[in-house]
Amino acid sequence: MRTADEPTAEPRLPAPEASRRARWSATSAGAAIRDVARLLIVRVSLLVTLLAIVFAAVELLPGDAATATAERGESAAGLAARRHLLGLDQPLWTRFATWMTALPSGNLGVSARGRPVTEVLADPFPNTLVLALSALVLTVLASLALGCWAAARPGGLTDRVIGHLATSAFALPEYIVAIALVLPLALWTGLLPAVTVTDATGAPGSWTMLVMPVLALTIPQTGWNTRIVRGALADQAALPHVEAAGLDGLPAHVVVLRHALPGAVPTIAAGIATSAGMLFGGAVVVETLFNYPGVGTLLAGAVSDRDTPLVAGVAVCAGAAITIVLLASDVIRDVVVGGRR
Amino acid sequence: MNTSSHAARPWRAGGLRKAVPALLLIIAALAGPFLAEHPVDAPITMPYAPPEDGAPLGGDQLGRDVLSRLLSGGTALITSALAVALIITAGAIWLGCLAALSPAARRVVERGADIAILLPPVLGVMLIGMTWPGGGRLAVAAAAVTLGLPYATRVVAGAALPLTTTGYIETALASGERLSYVAARELVPNLRSTLIALFGLRFVEAIYIISMAGFLQIGPQPPAADWALMIRENSGGILLNPWAVLAPSLAIAILAISVNLASEALSRKPVATGIARPGSRE
Repeated sequence: MRTADEPTAEPRLPAPEASRRARWSATSAGAAIRDVARLLIVRVSLLVTLLAIVFAAVELLPGDAATATAERGESAAGLAARRHLLGLDQPLWTRFATWMTALPSGNLGVSARGRPVTEVLADPFPNTLVLALSALVLTVLASLALGCWAAARPGGLTDRVIGHLATSAFALPEYIVAIALVLPLALWTGLLPAVTVTDATGAPGSWTMLVMPVLALTIPQTGWNTRIVRGALADQAALPHVEAAGLDGLPAHVVVLRHALPGAVPTIAAGIATSAGMLFGGAVVVETLFNYPGVGTLLAGAVSDRDTPLVAGVAVCAGAAITIVLLASDVIRDVVVGGRR
Repeated sequence: MNTSSHAARPWRAGGLRKAVPALLLIIAALAGPFLAEHPVDAPITMPYAPPEDGAPLGGDQLGRDVLSRLLSGGTALITSALAVALIITAGAIWLGCLAALSPAARRVVERGADIAILLPPVLGVMLIGMTWPGGGRLAVAAAAVTLGLPYATRVVAGAALPLTTTGYIETALASGERLSYVAARELVPNLRSTLIALFGLRFVEAIYIISMAGFLQIGPQPPAADWALMIRENSGGILLNPWAVLAPSLAIAILAISVNLASEALSRKPVATGIARPGSRE
């Protein structure tokens, strides 16, 4: 992936967004498909490498799922039976092949409790995705709004206040934000439910139960991305066409939104996409506080069970989800930058 | 090669002042165990007792003194976070300079960071913590180093790369100096502000990962006094004695924020524009 400070090195063309897009779609639809295919191959091969590393880590570190879940004093025969159930008695290469084809085949192995991992994850994983994606959307909106607001008057009071708040916010772990929210909003005033109650389908019973978990995830990531938006806009503000727009006497919000923001999109897209992993990881932690029916609540149990296959399965699914977000950001960057070639 | 002196001045004046809160807090947390009045593992009040004489912050779920546990609960967190940040920064300097001086190594570094982004830190810590039974804090620290190193290396490599085409580096390389010598004597002094920012962010990130592991009960085990573990253990009685949860939460929040503000003030450049690029928190 290219780095965030790349836009400064891009061609400095003040072409309006609309004509840029038109030219791009008219001349190079075939090239675009090739570009997307290339990005797809890069992202998928990175995911495959991650899978291999996870396999190696689980394999090389002492202890396996069978010994980890063994009760004290369990017989050697019991252990062997469990190894057989978990497929740990297969040769290394067989297990590696099974593991690497886990994602396309949907066979993520057997959890330490003996249920297929895919089955265990079927209900909680979509719930976690809902939580993380809502937080991602809110993060995009909030950090764009705050970053543009701060950039409208560089060095002003708003800029400095937003800057310091953003720096403070991104230092905070999500579960601390969750506690800061749950006391005033739920326990002292009863405005929102503190604990998630599920309905018959296993989904949260009401949207109000999503408010606090989503906010707890959004606040730290908004802090981080506001800084990225602000930095990208600052880089753009130094470019001749943006400077000229300001000197022509256009209002500050027009300069920021119409002239600086379009050029900052690739940097912002790359920055926000890297938040996907943080949001997913944060969701796992925050869920345990709100008893939200996602993979976090499941993994909290997996830690005490030492259920390595389950955690590895979640890592595979999370890696796939994050790959999709990163790919989307790649395509956005490609469209914006490609239009300028 | 006195190119570093002009870079050193600007952050010294205002920067050091802003680093004072973080330093004081770290010293207080390290000295805390000696100030604790009560043992951290013996009950002295009723479970979840509200603040009372002898226990200014009340008791926790077993009636242990919250203040004493608060004073003792940050030492291990801060020392392990410091160690992780130091190891990552040192490793990133070594690997990053190597990558800046060698195109082949640079590609590996780029791809390594791309792969690390795909694994949320929580899951990485869980995997390593679980497949290393009894690893405790060491396993968590190892996980934090493994997860943080790829990106930190990329940051150093990215910052060092423009320097490798400067005349003095080329001269040093052409005159047959060893790579390690060039890295240590020519590259590192000129990367000072990047490295300070990197260390600060890695420290905040290490606090994040290690405290999160504590919260998920992967690293420190009861009855150890640990801020993150205190939050998890006492969240059930948050209405009876809010301080049992609030005090350690505030401690972690203030620690993380003050370190973050300090590192931002000490590194000259604004964090978002040059040093810490998106994803440096993976």
